[in-house]
Amino acid sequence: MNGFLTYVPVILMGVWNTLILSTAGFLLATLLGLLMAFIEVFSPKPISITVDWVTRVLRGVPLLLALLLVFYGLPRVGIALPNIASAIIGITIVDSGYQAQLFRGAIEGVGERQLEAAYSIGLSKWAAFRYIIAPQAFRAALPGWLNEFTIVLKDSSIAYAIGVTELFTQAVHVAQVVLDYLQPLILVSIVYFSICYPLSIISERARRKLLAMGVAAV
Amino acid sequence: MKVVLEVSNLWKFFGKSPVLRGVSFSVREGEAKVILGPSGAGKSTLLRCINLLIKPDRGSIILDGEEVTAPGVNVARVRSKIGFVFQHFNLFNHLTALENVMLGLIKVKGMNRDDAFKVARESLLSVGISEDLWSKYPAQLSGGQQQRVAIARAIAMSPRLVLFDEPTSALDPELIWEVLRVMEKMSKERMTMIVVTHELGFAMKVADEVVFMDSGAIVERGPPEEVILRPRNERVRRFMERMQYVYSLK
Repeated sequence: MNGFLTYVPVILMGVWNTLILSTAGFLLATLLGLLMAFIEVFSPKPISITVDWVTRVLRGVPLLLALLLVFYGLPRVGIALPNIASAIIGITIVDSGYQAQLFRGAIEGVGERQLEAAYSIGLSKWAAFRYIIAPQAFRAALPGWLNEFTIVLKDSSIAYAIGVTELFTQAVHVAQVVLDYLQPLILVSIVYFSICYPLSIISERARRKLLAMGVAAV
Repeated sequence: MKVVLEVSNLWKFFGKSPVLRGVSFSVREGEAKVILGPSGAGKSTLLRCINLLIKPDRGSIILDGEEVTAPGVNVARVRSKIGFVFQHFNLFNHLTALENVMLGLIKVKGMNRDDAFKVARESLLSVGISEDLWSKYPAQLSGGQQQRVAIARAIAMSPRLVLFDEPTSALDPELIWEVLRVMEKMSKERMTMIVVTHELGFAMKVADEVVFMDSGAIVERGPPEEVILRPRNERVRRFMERMQYVYSLK
């Protein structure tokens, strides 16, 4: 027991890397996902179909595979990255496929009627997007977007496979030293839970509030 | 009296099938024109062509002496001069009743918030939406209230004419009258309007001219008591007989 307690700070130090990994990967995936969603909704059919196909491929890649590919595979073609950068890129690539789908659904969900009404009072295409479509799509995407972050946060533990010293990796290392897996793993479970739970509460509140406003979340 | 709108020989095809087949009519200032006819007659398409939500394939539309179907016309500017009231209200879901009315005034007409508020207040009061409802979102309003806010949003822009596309078809029966009453009041105040509706009572009371459309063409037109009570065209007569069955209280 005492052996484990002295290692608690070591495990908790992994929280920083977990947060860096998941936040950076998630936000980059948001940028990329938004870009792909815009292209899918607003560009001519051939381009839109191609991008849609790309997002499907991205969603089909297991995160573990993406991480190994970036960290162990890319050096073969001369791109050698530190493991934390590789993990961020892997998370970005895979999650951008999911976020593209989320944002696309949110934009398309706003619907033709809102657009017609916007045009009918004389708003230009850009103004209709800026003042009607975007605010509604943003609201509709918010709960799903927050949920997506909790998924990325937990999946970032897969960076263990390429040796990033994040929360989960630290716990496993400590477990190997103190010869007990139970206590370190329960501790990290509590840490993951205490980050994810508040976010899922906020997401659920947002969803309910939006519903009362007549905006159905994606 | 001055002609506000002139539609000449308007054609529209969806794929190969014609939806509008050479429709022509004009609307004078202050006139209320009611368009009747079965589903699929092209009534909605006609209204959508007039405010350029749909581009007609042939023919011309002249608004206040300007041919708006000509190439190079600023579509948004034309639309800001035409109000449109939709069957499903189409209020902006993320904005309150007041903001729904103010948005166009600020973003299209370039008014400051104070001026926009004054105009919006007048419009909302004129359709009987009292101050306690101004901060409500569309989902918190009844259908009748939503449609009246939508009318306020249209008239706040001081349009040259207002188009109504079956404005009461999505309403509970008991709420229809509150919307029709507002429209009747607008007509009395000499607002120029074109109304697509199935409300024959409204057409009898308010219409200056009734136009009956079938299969993309106008088949009969005239004063409401002529077209509704003594139609000459066989198709119109059959339509009115069925309406008699539905609405007659005797």
